[in-house]
Amino acid sequence: MSVAEQLDMSSLLVDRVGKTFSARRSSVVAVESVSFTVPPREVCILLGPSGCGKSTVLRMIAGLEIPTSGRITLSGRPVLGPARERGMVFQGYTSFPWLTVRQNVAYGLKLNGDFGALREGTVDHFLESVGLTRFANAWPHELSGGMRQRVALARALAATPELLLMDEPFGALDAETRWQMQELLLKVIRKERMTVVMVTHDVEEALLLGDQIVFLSSHPGRVRTIINPPFKTDSAIRTREDLRAHPRYAEMERDILQMMREEGKH
Amino acid sequence: MSQPVQSQAVPMTPDANATTADSSAAMPPLSPWPVKVRWFEFKHPVSALSKVWLGVAAWLVFLLGWHYAATSGDANPLFPSPLAVLDALWTLFAERGFASDVLASLKRILISFFLACSIAIPLGILMGAFPRVESAFGPLVSAFRYLPAPAFIPLLLMWLGTGDTQKIALLMLGVIWFLITLVCDNVKQTPVDFIETAKTLGGSRRKILWTVVVPASLPNIVITCRQMLAVSWTYLVIAEIVAATDGIGAMIMRARRFVNVDDIMAGILVIGILGLVCDLLFRGLYWLMFPYLRRR
Ligand SMILES: Nc1ncnc2c1ncn2[C@@H]1O[C@H](COP(=O)(O)OP(=O)(O)OP(=O)(O)O)[C@@H](O)[C@H]1O
Ligand SMILES: [Mg+2]
Repeated sequence: MSVAEQLDMSSLLVDRVGKTFSARRSSVVAVESVSFTVPPREVCILLGPSGCGKSTVLRMIAGLEIPTSGRITLSGRPVLGPARERGMVFQGYTSFPWLTVRQNVAYGLKLNGDFGALREGTVDHFLESVGLTRFANAWPHELSGGMRQRVALARALAATPELLLMDEPFGALDAETRWQMQELLLKVIRKERMTVVMVTHDVEEALLLGDQIVFLSSHPGRVRTIINPPFKTDSAIRTREDLRAHPRYAEMERDILQMMREEGKH
Repeated sequence: MSQPVQSQAVPMTPDANATTADSSAAMPPLSPWPVKVRWFEFKHPVSALSKVWLGVAAWLVFLLGWHYAATSGDANPLFPSPLAVLDALWTLFAERGFASDVLASLKRILISFFLACSIAIPLGILMGAFPRVESAFGPLVSAFRYLPAPAFIPLLLMWLGTGDTQKIALLMLGVIWFLITLVCDNVKQTPVDFIETAKTLGGSRRKILWTVVVPASLPNIVITCRQMLAVSWTYLVIAEIVAATDGIGAMIMRARRFVNVDDIMAGILVIGILGLVCDLLFRGLYWLMFPYLRRR
């Protein structure tokens, strides 16, 4: 891919990024020289063993953490801090308890004074996409964990970010709800044609949703390999069963699990 | 449920369970095993009726015990019965213009508490939200928290004279430092994820302060105010002991000079009742302000 193409509209460029956390005496090199590119409308998955620096990379893209080396650009503009163009969904429940579901989803637009989008029914559109229309007037504490994550997803999407960031958004959910959420997310991502960077350590999730899997090795986090699974773009695959039945799935899963095990040994 | 929920009228049940559910519906209802519900049970919900009943019962036991203790032996003027206190209370209001004392005290409490809050809440919020502000004011506020407010009475008398201003200032000094510290702690409880979410949605610091930090900590701030208002009432008598001509505390001090124990007790009773009313008002306010916290 040429440099001109890399600087294409709305592509994310992570260029030799490193992060060292320094405490009083000791310092931890969390991430070292990580580079990858996410073209527009593609889903990039950050995968790797626990503690390898996935969250750190994601938080640097969000602008919530400042890199100690390297640069990050989105559509050619440098990332200097958090902004509406890079929305984020966290692992924990972050729906605001003092707002109803609808108010939560509308929050980003209100914050930016985007009353045009509010009038055009953006909020209803995304409530519909995540299947929460019926719960629009409920309080978050009346919802299940999966529904609360759908609120967080709809809230991030409603602010119409160029890039959607997610840090193990389904990590706190039980297995059954997680599959449902993965399938829902696949549907929403395909429909909205979002550019996404997502952290997970669930291999199945990575293969189902990713156009590109950036596999990080641990201590310090470096890019070990980049894998391009074919499943997200295959419109025949809609559910977990479709994915598992695909002839290439078993082999890819085995390879990734093998890498995970190797990294875990260090 | 990956499909939108609204498309299903009934929540999905796995097929295996569906058959058993059908067959059990045909059978007569089955009463559960008798399970003993213990009187002392952790976190056991209490109905509104039992709450009133239990509260009234404790009061009755207290009043009956008091009455019995006061009337069993020889009549002791230093330990009047509850009825004697009620009688004294009636005389105070009907014949000796006690209502204006109560109003004077109430006014002092409300003005001083309002002033204390209007300084402590904004400062506490800024300290809780911004570590730099806390570093600046924290040590100062902590030091003042340890100074006993009554020790300031001589100073306040010299600076502010003997009028209402001095009493209001003392009542303020009694609560403001704790208010600042507690509000600061309430604000610090705001989850980091909430703030970071708002940042990634494009919020400026001012907007995040108003739309995330303040609403997230407001319920606890209201509780803090409720508790500190109670503390304010406990300072009332101290504030009205010195150089006061009116107020509940002044009445109590006058009664002490003439050893009118029933008047003293009546004064204490009035403070208790007013405190209770304030507490109930704050609970009502909390209920109105935070519908999302009503039952959980
Ligand atoms: N704020 C911080 N201060 C100091 N060290 C940190 C901080 N945040 C992360 N680290 C360190 O950086 C390394 C990477 O952390 P990070 O949270 O990015 O890992 P992760 O891949 O997201 O792990 P997990 O899968 O468990 O979420 C860890 O060794 C961690 O101890
Ligand atoms: Mg992480």
